[in-house]
Amino acid sequence: MSVTEYEVGRQPGLPTRKRVEVDPITLRVLGGAFHAIAKEMAGVLFRMSYSSIIRESEDLGAGIFDAEGRELCESDSTPMHIGSLPWYIRGFLHRLGDEIEPGDVIVHNHPYLGASHSPDVAVAVPIFSGGELLGFAAVTAHVLDVGGSFPGINADAFDVYAEAKLYNGLRWYRRGELNVDVDRMIFDNVRTETMNRGDMNAMLAACQLGCERFLRLVERYGVEVVMSAAYDWMDYSERMLRAEIAKIPDGTYGPVVGWLDDDARNRGVQLRVETRVIVEGDEVTIDLTGSNPEVPTGYNVPFEGSLLVSCYYAIRTILLDETTFPEHVPQNDGVFRPVKVIAPKGTIFNPTFPRACFSRFCQTQRVVDNTILALAEALPDKVTAGNSAGIHFCAYAGFDESIGEYWLYLEVNEGSYGGRQGKDAMDSVDNLMANTRNNPIEELDQRFPMRCDQYELRPEPAAPGKWRGGVGIIRRNRFLVDGTYSCEGDRQTDPPKAIFGGWDGLVASCRKNPDTAEEEYLPAKVTGIPFRAGEFIEFREPNAAGYGDPLERDPAQVREDVLDDFTTIELARDAYGVVFADERTLEIDPAATEAKRAELLAGRDGRSLTEYFRDRLIPSNAPVSIAGNREFGIEPA
Amino acid sequence: MKRVGVDVGGTFTDLIYVDDEAGVIRVHKLPTTPGDPSQGTIQGIEEVTSGAGESPSALDQVFHGTTIATNIVIEHSGATVGMITTEGYRDILHIARHKKPLNFSNYQDLPWQRYPVVRRRYRLTVPERVTKDGSVLVPLDEEAAREQVRKLKEAGVDAVAVCFLFSFVNDAHEARVAEIVREEFPEAFLSVSSEVLPQYREYERFSTVCLNAYIGPKVATYVSRLQDELTRLGVRTGVHLMTSASGVATAQAAVDRPVNLLMSGPVAGVVGGIWAGKHAGYGNVITLDVGGTSADIGLAQEGRLRMKHLLDTKVGPYQAMIPMVDVDTIGAGGGSIAYVDQGGIFRVGPRSAGAVPGPAAYNRGGTEATATDALVNLGWLSPEAFLGGGMELDAGLARKAFAEGPAAALGMSVEEASMGAAQILTHSMVQSIEENSVRKGYDPRDFALVAEGGAGPLFAAQIALEVGTPTVIVPPYPGIAAAMGLLATDMVYEYVATTYQRLSKLDASALQRRFEELEELAVRQLADDGIDPENVVVQRIADCRYLGQGYELRVDAPSGQIGPQWAEKVRADFHDIHEREYSRRFEDSDIEIPNVRVRGIGLMPPLRTPEIEHGDESPDAALRHEGSAWFRVAGELRDVPTRYYERAALKAGNRLVGPAIVTQYDSTTVIPPGLAAHVDRFGNIVIAISADSAEMASGATEEIAA
Repeated sequence: MSVTEYEVGRQPGLPTRKRVEVDPITLRVLGGAFHAIAKEMAGVLFRMSYSSIIRESEDLGAGIFDAEGRELCESDSTPMHIGSLPWYIRGFLHRLGDEIEPGDVIVHNHPYLGASHSPDVAVAVPIFSGGELLGFAAVTAHVLDVGGSFPGINADAFDVYAEAKLYNGLRWYRRGELNVDVDRMIFDNVRTETMNRGDMNAMLAACQLGCERFLRLVERYGVEVVMSAAYDWMDYSERMLRAEIAKIPDGTYGPVVGWLDDDARNRGVQLRVETRVIVEGDEVTIDLTGSNPEVPTGYNVPFEGSLLVSCYYAIRTILLDETTFPEHVPQNDGVFRPVKVIAPKGTIFNPTFPRACFSRFCQTQRVVDNTILALAEALPDKVTAGNSAGIHFCAYAGFDESIGEYWLYLEVNEGSYGGRQGKDAMDSVDNLMANTRNNPIEELDQRFPMRCDQYELRPEPAAPGKWRGGVGIIRRNRFLVDGTYSCEGDRQTDPPKAIFGGWDGLVASCRKNPDTAEEEYLPAKVTGIPFRAGEFIEFREPNAAGYGDPLERDPAQVREDVLDDFTTIELARDAYGVVFADERTLEIDPAATEAKRAELLAGRDGRSLTEYFRDRLIPSNAPVSIAGNREFGIEPA
Repeated sequence: MKRVGVDVGGTFTDLIYVDDEAGVIRVHKLPTTPGDPSQGTIQGIEEVTSGAGESPSALDQVFHGTTIATNIVIEHSGATVGMITTEGYRDILHIARHKKPLNFSNYQDLPWQRYPVVRRRYRLTVPERVTKDGSVLVPLDEEAAREQVRKLKEAGVDAVAVCFLFSFVNDAHEARVAEIVREEFPEAFLSVSSEVLPQYREYERFSTVCLNAYIGPKVATYVSRLQDELTRLGVRTGVHLMTSASGVATAQAAVDRPVNLLMSGPVAGVVGGIWAGKHAGYGNVITLDVGGTSADIGLAQEGRLRMKHLLDTKVGPYQAMIPMVDVDTIGAGGGSIAYVDQGGIFRVGPRSAGAVPGPAAYNRGGTEATATDALVNLGWLSPEAFLGGGMELDAGLARKAFAEGPAAALGMSVEEASMGAAQILTHSMVQSIEENSVRKGYDPRDFALVAEGGAGPLFAAQIALEVGTPTVIVPPYPGIAAAMGLLATDMVYEYVATTYQRLSKLDASALQRRFEELEELAVRQLADDGIDPENVVVQRIADCRYLGQGYELRVDAPSGQIGPQWAEKVRADFHDIHEREYSRRFEDSDIEIPNVRVRGIGLMPPLRTPEIEHGDESPDAALRHEGSAWFRVAGELRDVPTRYYERAALKAGNRLVGPAIVTQYDSTTVIPPGLAAHVDRFGNIVIAISADSAEMASGATEEIAA
């Protein structure tokens, strides 16, 4: 079936179902119930699932949707999944039309028909009441392997057929009966059958639960009341967001331009991400015109399932920040309505079929980061300085002959946030749309033929600012058997940008066998690199940018930073102008500090931590690394 | 036996005195002394015993529930802790699980970074590394360790935590560093991960062990001061403290492992509810304890408590991997504020007016409408009878708060808005009960709802109608259920060890050995506590999961020899538990046992309360006045003639027909129209919620369905 006729980004418009008035108390009650259902679905999914990417990382989304894919509610899991499910549903409806029957279970992952990307597989169960298709209970989750060219990750796939097996509205169950041939087709064609099966069973259980819970509401309150309440809540969320957009003066903000490292194949050729934010009344448009043409690898972004989601996320998070905004505004179709997105066809943000688009996360994170930066002048108390806005998402794999299947471990290496008005940044945490959990070291070492030899904050200090930037991690993982390593990452060349006089951040790096005779720098995006038993990889994730002039930071606070190794004595002097009379007690020399600050103020331009540490990463040779090298006979440098 | 249960809450210290032989029971309440809670505790013990004509020296038992440990964590007022950890992994506590509490917030704080339990400057590393099988990859550098301990001593920390990777497999390095700490820095409070919690998952273990160090010094001071004071009063037995695992521990055990005191607060209330249920003849109970700012909801089948899932055992924002009773706390109580937000949505809570300024009706300067004000407007709370008449409520202010607040915003009458607020609050409790019952596979029709706290009995009947529990039990002293729970508990210690066993390839002798080691610990601890061996019960628990899953469920495991039969029983039980929890079972999957646990229980003499005086069906002797209150009848909000009774004057056998309101010192029970209740021989008010009565009362349910 051709997907080129499919109209990308077509919203179904406002719901046309006849609505009844719902009294305020019932409305409140049903709002709570919707949220509880989504939360419960996600809880079932991640607690009973098998792969660590779902159960530990919670790389999943769950919710209830109407028959045209409008979102009633979504779980509080990974934001990247929030808002993508409506497009999965519209995508499989394109294939299935009105062929859907009670008891069907639909599986979908087609990136040109709404999927976020092919490994994020959706399972959906239709909700029927009195013969009417009311909507769907649906979940997405990142499954370990979808049968692409290489295990787990395929950043440089030739086309969409090489990146994954495509599931276009497959009915895994029909009218309650397992579709055996479809089942075999799905699970015979992935490298990790047992894990995928366990995970997809958990997804199905979550959908069935959601369907059951929703029908109980319908039974109790009546279908008209429940659906009307759902639409009232969408209107509420829309109203709240529009009111906040309207407070921003009309105008075009930006452009902000950022650069991605490369497309996973053509090394050294950066990709442009250009972002404007246009505010008109109570609507906002994110315009990516000027961004890079599509690339011949898997580093393109599905427009609906990924780009739209990132734009919705950016606006909602800036304007309805859950910490500073007084009310909880539920995540539903309403928060999507005031946000428009422009990305010309044929760019990396709106690729042409059949371009591969397996790896899209870093690009969408940069859209969010650019959007935040574009709004800095307008909303200084709602933005952060430049964020790490990238990850190193990697797949470690090998074939386990004892079970006749692959072992495959997916890992999210986290970044950090930029500084923000009135407070320092968050260190070593999943940034922006990422919000996964790490895998315990004591779980990783036990379950996989690998060992984590180091995991802590990277040794380089935080990016200076009145409010300092966040610090990323250093992590070293060693293969204990032969295997392969693949990664989709970014931010090794273009550092996080400072705002209001802070310092730019520090870029990421990735090295194979660092500090040994066999040391090798790796680009952020690689596919199927062989590792021998004993070889190991090191990540240093970005230190995000500073907010405000470091000379305005209280010297006493700078002293605290030195005590906690968030900055160094040298950087205290070079960036903050804080001089210590005694480097052991860290007693501040007020006169020297004043003089130094005056000197810096006179002759200073924008500074970058990346420049400061150019070609001289602070060595980090934990004894565990050295012992590991000795164990496997890897020569020191 | 003469015993006292004393529960120190945020506002009040509650006490109960029981003399089993004489059949005497006395309750007492006094304000908590926040500066030094032991003051109020001691004063309360003196007052409650002297009120009974006894002296403290006659007491055989003092059981104590305290929030001191929890408050230290929540108020960030713990000790300065130093940590010695494996080089290369300095920031496990700083990174945590790298997941943010909130999805949509750039301005949130990560509590473990904003308020670290151990500041980065005091997290010092030493070369050492044990691998997953217990072998040593990097030998411990003892000199480096000694150097780091000296640094911590010089820096003036109060406590030292020793946390190495894989110490639950091989504890030699931790043990050696512990020795070094004892040599170099004997005055420090010492917390060693393989002693406190030999269980895998490094962040959760380190966090727990460091919390243990963080609260340790203060808890030790508090407990020893309390012990000294009790000794001065002539109390012969030491004090026992409630733990989060639902039992009490001796003072020494509590000081050795103070982390087990965390989150013990709501547990006593659940235990009290279970006891009240049993007493009234109901083994399956859902407990609902509603106070001023929050409601605690628990569930017990056949009197057995459920434990929380590993991911949910938190203290404030910090992870603590300790056994915790599954109690759900939600922000719904008498002080919850009712308001209409800028998007037009009617909300009640979680924001609370607290004790100051409190609800508008308190006349302490509060002007926002609260749940308490709603209940005054509806006539459910009598202004003159509040706190036994100790505090007059101002009905005019309650009315004004609603008239100018939510009623105006919604274009409703004060009564409609007040009833709406009550329904929204009720609904949030209904939702929590459903999450904890129906959604976990328990049928609420098999349970009785036990109403506790000052406000629980106000809402319980309405909640039962919606949830479907056929019975509501209001115990004689609902306001001190937690203190009661203390006397209804046994002595409990739980020990855990990580094993990584599989049922299909069971190393039976290794597992047997592991269980026996833990059992020995439990038995020794109980013997040290002076428990008669015939009162010792030892239970085994296997944490199980399907091979490949990442989170385990607790399965009660048989005692005796471990072999194929043992495995078969565990397998069958795990399938059932998994199905109840997640509504699916996978019979073909192998089952893994990452951890085993042993619970050592020292049985305490059962708590009995005296029977009350018997009367006939008519409760007229307890009738205080006849008035009117607002209820929904057949979907319509109406002012209905209502009888008001005094709790203390009720007699066993009395029958109460709704609408009726029963007031007592610190609680009020509402029996809505269409429902009836009787008073049992122990003084419990037992409200019957039949299908018929549901129809008659109809109330909120019908209205919402309309």
